Amino acid sequence: MTYLLMSLPFLGVSLVVFFIGLVRAARVRGKARRYLVSYAVTTAALLGLTAVFDNVMMAAGFFDYGREQISGARFILMPLEDFFYPIAAAFLLAGLWQFLQPSRSGHDPERKDSAHAATHRFLSDQGEPEHD
Amino acid sequence: MALIYLASLAASTGCMVLLDYRYRLAFFRAPVRTLVALLAGLVFFITWDAVGISLGVFRHLDSVWASGILLAPEFPLEELFFLTFLTYLTLILLAGAQRLIDARGRR
Repeated sequence: MTYLLMSLPFLGVSLVVFFIGLVRAARVRGKARRYLVSYAVTTAALLGLTAVFDNVMMAAGFFDYGREQISGARFILMPLEDFFYPIAAAFLLAGLWQFLQPSRSGHDPERKDSAHAATHRFLSDQGEPEHD
Repeated sequence: MALIYLASLAASTGCMVLLDYRYRLAFFRAPVRTLVALLAGLVFFITWDAVGISLGVFRHLDSVWASGILLAPEFPLEELFFLTFLTYLTLILLAGAQRLIDARGRR
């Protein structure tokens, strides 16, 4: 149970960051849905990749776990607790990515890059303004 | 000493950089925001790993596919690359999904 218990604070922190991001996103109409859907898509992809590649990594013998420290429940070779990493990654990064986004001010430095905008207008013209 | 695992992680991360560059998703769109998010994610996961290692949850094994280089007890060089890849992949997935949602909304 050690793996489960020691993961709880990290899952908790990632959840808090996720909710801060959600509150931020919800300030703009339609953005909360975009935030939640992109989070869900990301989580699904990460869980699928983890289910495949964590087992590959286990089979390759890169690491092992303390027998007494894990629940013993496994998906093929990987301990089920390993799914906490991708779950927390999606919560944490979704929140951070939203939180770090500059507030909308109508200034988009990307639009000045006209040569690039010409070729990438469809793709680069979407989405939120950036300030980096 | 083998570099298969390290090379696989580097190649996978390289593919994320190519996607990022092609579609201007994360670093090539907002470099500061991306670096801050990557760094925060790395600190988060390295701390999680460190707690697990200190409690005896995670144990390093000498694999024929891995370099065998340890940055700290039970923490191999490849783990740093793996955590960087996981964090960057997550950002690319989020930014990519948001790009698709925005594109559909404008059609």
